[in-house]
Amino acid sequence: MTTLLAASLATLVFCAPGYPGGTGDAQPLLDQFAAAAAAVSGWPAGSLGAVYDPTEEGGLAKLAGGDAVLAFVPYPFYVEHAAQLHLTPLVQADMADIGPQQRWTLVAKSGRVTGPASMTGYHLLSTAGYAPEFIRHGALQDWALPADVKIEFTGQVLSALRRAAAGEPVAVLLDQTQAAALPSLPFAAELKSVAESADLPVALIAVVGSRLAPPRAKALQEGLLKMGHTPGSGDSLAPLRLRGFVPPKLPSRTAP
Amino acid sequence: MKTRFFSGVSILVLAACATQPRPPPLPNAQPSTTPELAAAIDADARRSDHEPDAKIRADLAAEAGRDADTCLAREPQSAACLYGGAIALGLEARAHPARAGESLTSMLDKLARAESADPNYDEAGPARVRALVLIRAPGWPLGPGDAEAGLDAARRAVALRPLYPPNLLALAEGLAKTGDRSGARDAYARARDAAQALPDAADRDEWLREADQGLKH
Repeated sequence: MTTLLAASLATLVFCAPGYPGGTGDAQPLLDQFAAAAAAVSGWPAGSLGAVYDPTEEGGLAKLAGGDAVLAFVPYPFYVEHAAQLHLTPLVQADMADIGPQQRWTLVAKSGRVTGPASMTGYHLLSTAGYAPEFIRHGALQDWALPADVKIEFTGQVLSALRRAAAGEPVAVLLDQTQAAALPSLPFAAELKSVAESADLPVALIAVVGSRLAPPRAKALQEGLLKMGHTPGSGDSLAPLRLRGFVPPKLPSRTAP
Repeated sequence: MKTRFFSGVSILVLAACATQPRPPPLPNAQPSTTPELAAAIDADARRSDHEPDAKIRADLAAEAGRDADTCLAREPQSAACLYGGAIALGLEARAHPARAGESLTSMLDKLARAESADPNYDEAGPARVRALVLIRAPGWPLGPGDAEAGLDAARRAVALRPLYPPNLLALAEGLAKTGDRSGARDAYARARDAAQALPDAADRDEWLREADQGLKH
C-alpha cells in the first residue's frame, strides 16, 4: 500500500526556459506522454504525472517539491543545475528534427569578432543564457570567453541578431535549429559564425536525487528507450517533437 | 527541447485576441451582406473563445472560413472581409495547431492588407490584432512571432485609437515582451483608466481584469 501511494505521487517536471508554450497549453500533451511512459514501463496507470514550467526559476521550484522525481530538461539546464539537484541522467531525448545531439553556434557582426579576446566588453545573448556554466565550459569550451563578457538570457533571438547585425557589441549563441535558419534572415550577410560547439545532448530525462527507487528507475529507463519503436508508442511523442529516446551519452566533464 | 516544444499549441491563445464586440447576427438568418458576414465571423470567434470542445471549435473555424471566403468573393479589397478572413485564419490555427504556422502567415498577410484598406476598422483592429499575433506567436525561427514588430503595430493602433482599452493592452503586452516593464505598467494603467471611463459592460470588466493583472506583474 505504501509503495502504491508513493508511486501515485511520482512527477516528471518538464522545464524548457526560453522556448514557446505556456503551462496550460502544454499540460494535455504532458499528461498524454506521462501516461504512455508509465504504460510502456510497466508502472501502474496514473502513477506518473507531469508538469511543465517555461521558466528556470519555476522549474527549479517545481523540482524542489518532494513529488518531483524526474526532470525533463534541456542540456544547458542540466549542466547548470545537475550538481545542485543531484540529477542522474536516465535517457537522452531523440528529437524529431535534429536527433539526440546538436551543435551550438556563436554568431557576431561580420569582421568584428576575430577571436575570443576580441569579445572583451561584449554581451553574449542566448536562449541558453540562463546557463553560463554551460556556455563557458560546454558550448564554448574551446573559445575562452573574456571574463567581462556578460552572458544574458533572451527569448527574443531575432532582436538579439538585429542588434548584432547593427554593430552593437553583441554576440548570439544559437542552437542548431536557429543556426540552420540564419541564412534566411534578410540581414544574414551582416553576421558571421565565429565558433561552433562539439555535438552536445539536446535534452535529458534525469532522476532527481534518490527519490526514485532503482528498480522503478530501471523499468522506466527500459520503457522510455522502447518508446517510438513499438506500435502506438510514438503517438505521445510526436506532439512534443520527439522521435524517441537513446541511452545518455554525455561529454566526459558532465557525465555522472 | 528547444525543439518547438509546444510551439503549435501556444497558438491557441491567438484567436481570442482577435475579437471585439459586435452585435450578433440574427438567429437562423443566413448572412449575406458584408456586415452580416463580418458579424457572423466575429460571433464564431467569440463562441470559440469559450468553447472547450475541440470538435466544436473546429466546426466554428470551418464556418468562419466559409463566411470569410464568401465575404472576400464579394468584396476582395474590403477591410471588413480581409479582417474577417484574418480572424477566421486565427480560428483555423487554433483548431489545427499542426497547420498553425501556415495559417498565421496568411493571417498576418490579410491583416496587413486590411490595415492598408482601412486602418481604423474595428477601432484600429488590423494593427491591434497584428500586434498580438506578432507578440504572442512563437518567435523566429519556429514561428512568425516578432515582439519588436508587434510593438510597432501596437503603437500604430494606439496612435489611431488612443482611448480604446484593447489597443493600450496590446501596447502594454508588447512593452512587457520587449523588456520595458515601466512602459508596460504605464500602458496597463492607461488601459485601466480608459476602461473605467466606459459604460459598464462585460467587455469593460474583462479589459479591467486584464489591466489589473498586468499591473500586478
